[in-house]
Amino acid sequence: MASITASRRDVVLSALHHAEGSRVPIDFGSTAVTGIHASCVAALRKHYSLEKRPVKIHEPFQMLGLVEEDLQNAMGIDVTGVFARKTMFGIAIDAGWKPWKFNGLEVLVPQDFNVTLTPNGDTLIYPEGDMSVPPSGRMPQGGYFFDAIIRQKPIEDSKLNPEDNLEEFTPASEQDIAWLAKSAKAACATGRAVIAGFGGTALGDIALVPAPFLKDPKGIRDVAEWYMSTRSRRGYIHKIFERQCEVAIGNLRRIHAAVSNDVDAVFTCGTDFGTQTSAFCSVSTFRELYFPYYKQVNDWIHRNTTWKIFKHSCGSVERFIDSFIESGFDILNPVQCSATGMDAEHLKERYGGRIVFWGGGVDTQKVLPFGTPVEIREQVLRRCEVFSKHGGFVFCSIHNVQACTPVGNIVAMINAVHEFNGVPAGSH
Amino acid sequence: MASLQAAIECIQAFREAKGARQTAMKDLSKLYEAILNGDNAAASEVTQAALAAGTDPGTLVTDYMIPAMDEVGRRFESEEYFVPDLLLSGRAMKAALDHLRPLLAATGAQPAGRVVIGTVKGDLHDIGKNLVAAMLEGGGFEVTDLGTDVAPQKFVEAISTKNANLVCLSALLTVTMPAMRTTVEALKSAGVRDRVKVMIGGAPVTAQYAQEIGADGYSENASAAVALARRLSSDAPHA
Repeated sequence: MASITASRRDVVLSALHHAEGSRVPIDFGSTAVTGIHASCVAALRKHYSLEKRPVKIHEPFQMLGLVEEDLQNAMGIDVTGVFARKTMFGIAIDAGWKPWKFNGLEVLVPQDFNVTLTPNGDTLIYPEGDMSVPPSGRMPQGGYFFDAIIRQKPIEDSKLNPEDNLEEFTPASEQDIAWLAKSAKAACATGRAVIAGFGGTALGDIALVPAPFLKDPKGIRDVAEWYMSTRSRRGYIHKIFERQCEVAIGNLRRIHAAVSNDVDAVFTCGTDFGTQTSAFCSVSTFRELYFPYYKQVNDWIHRNTTWKIFKHSCGSVERFIDSFIESGFDILNPVQCSATGMDAEHLKERYGGRIVFWGGGVDTQKVLPFGTPVEIREQVLRRCEVFSKHGGFVFCSIHNVQACTPVGNIVAMINAVHEFNGVPAGSH
Repeated sequence: MASLQAAIECIQAFREAKGARQTAMKDLSKLYEAILNGDNAAASEVTQAALAAGTDPGTLVTDYMIPAMDEVGRRFESEEYFVPDLLLSGRAMKAALDHLRPLLAATGAQPAGRVVIGTVKGDLHDIGKNLVAAMLEGGGFEVTDLGTDVAPQKFVEAISTKNANLVCLSALLTVTMPAMRTTVEALKSAGVRDRVKVMIGGAPVTAQYAQEIGADGYSENASAAVALARRLSSDAPHA
C-alpha cells in the first residue's frame, strides 16, 4: 500500500496516470454523477457527528447535497469539485442560499430556487426561478428527484432550424468565468484533486435536451423526438454538434486561461450510450455522429491543458470503450458492472491500461440500497482488488448514492475502501 | 345482346376489381416496409389507400403490421436496431393503427390481449414504458396507457373499465420500485389480482424482484415484453 501521507491530490494523480503503488483514491460529491442525495448527506453528517447545519442542495435536479469539507474529511474523500455557476434549472448558485423543507428535511437551496405546489401535492420548479413562465421541472408528491417537464412545440420539419437547439450554447459570460476561476482556486487550495464541470460540451445528453434551464426552449426538446432524430434527422443533429463544438472550444480557451492548472480533470460529457442490456446506438452510428466532435474537443484539451477528460455513460458500453479511448477520453464513469458485458475483470484486463475507471465500486441499483453491510463490504473489496491493479482507479459508487440508501450501508462501503487501503478507522 | 353486354361488363368489372386487389396487395407490402423503416407518413398513406380500396382492416393488422413489428423486435434483439429505431417504428405503426382502430372496433375483432400499462406512483419516467406500449400494440394487443406517476387505485379501476387481462408496471428508480409491490397488493385487496397477469420492467427491476412481489413476469426490454405478454396472455383468462 502507498504511504497514506501522500497528498490527496497526488494519490488521485497517480491513479489517473496509471501509476503503481497508489492507494485507492475516493470520490464522492465532486460531480453531478458521483454525488450523494441530500437526504443521505444529512444522514452522513449526523453519523459522523458533524456540526448540525442544513445540507446545501447544489444540484436540484437530482437533489444532490453538497459534500462540504468536514464531511469530505470524515469520509476520507480525495477529490473535490468545481461546478458551473448555474444549475440544471438555470439557477445561479453564487447568489446566496435560503431554507427549504424537503420531505421533512431542512435544507438550503439557491436563492432563486422557486417552486409551487400543485393541488395533488407535486412540486413545480421554474427556470432561472422565473415564476412568470411555465415550470420546467416536476417532483411528484413524496418524490426525491425532479424530472424535466417536456415543453415541446409542434415540429414542422421544413421549419426546423439548428439555431433553435443552440440557444444554450453561447460564449461564457465574464461572470461565469470569474466564478469558475474563484471556485477552482478554492478547490485547489484544499489539497484535493479537482474535477470541474464547465458545461457546454455534452453532445445530446438526454437530461439536457429538454433544457429545464431555458424559459422558452425551441427546436427538438422532447426526449423521444430527440432519440428518433439521431436517426431520422441526422443532418440537423450534425449541425448542432458542429456549432456547439466551436462555441465550446472558444469557451474552454477562455476558461483555461482563467483556471489553468488549478483543475486536474474535466467532466465534459454525460451522454448515456448504454442501456441495462444493450446500447442506444450502434458503434458505427457512434463513430459517425459523435466521435468526430468528441475528438475535436478532446484534442483541443490535450493539446492545450494538462486536464484529464472524464466521460460518463451509464449502462452497457463495453462496445464503445475503444472509441472513447481513441476519441481522447481518459476516464470512464460510472462503470456499470451489472450491465451486459461490463464485468469488472474483463474491463480491467482489456482496457485497464488505457482508460481510468472512476466508479464501479459498488452497485447502486441493488447492493448499496438493498444489500447488507456484509454484502457491500464483499463487493467493495472485490472491486478494489480488481480495478486498482496498476493504478487507473478512483473509487466511487456506480452513479450517485440514491435517496433512501441506509446510512449504515454507505458507511460500510466507505469503511471497506479504507480497509482495502490498510487505513485504520478514523485516520483517513 | 343485352345479357351478353351485361356479362362482358361483369367480366370487365371482375378483372378490374382483381387488378385493383392485386395492386392493393402489392402496395400493402409498403405498409410492412414503412413500419420497418419507421416512416410514419408512408404508413399512414398506405393504410388509407388500402382501406379506400376495400382491404379488410384485420388483414392489414394480421398480415402486415404485426409481422413488421415482430421483425422490428427481432432486429432489436439482434442489435441491428436500437431505441431510436424502435421509437420510429412504433410511431409508424401507430400512424397506421389510428386509421384502423374504429373499423376494428366495429368488426368486433378480438385483440391478442387487453393491457393496462403505466409507470408506478412517484415515478415520472416514460420512455421505456412507451416503448413497451408501442411494441405491445404492434403485437396485436389493445393497450390502455395510464401514463406516469400512476396510483395503485388507477390500475385497479382500469382493469375493470378496460376488461384488462394484463397489467404492465414500469419503474426507473430504486426509490419507486416499492410502488410496484404496493400496486400488486392493491390489486389483491381489490379482488382483481386473479383476473390479470402482472408483468414488470425498468432499469433496476429483476426477475427475482418480480417473484418477490408476486408479479407473474419480468421483461428486460420492450421486444421481450411482447413475447412475455403473449405467453402470459395465453394463460390469463380474457375478460
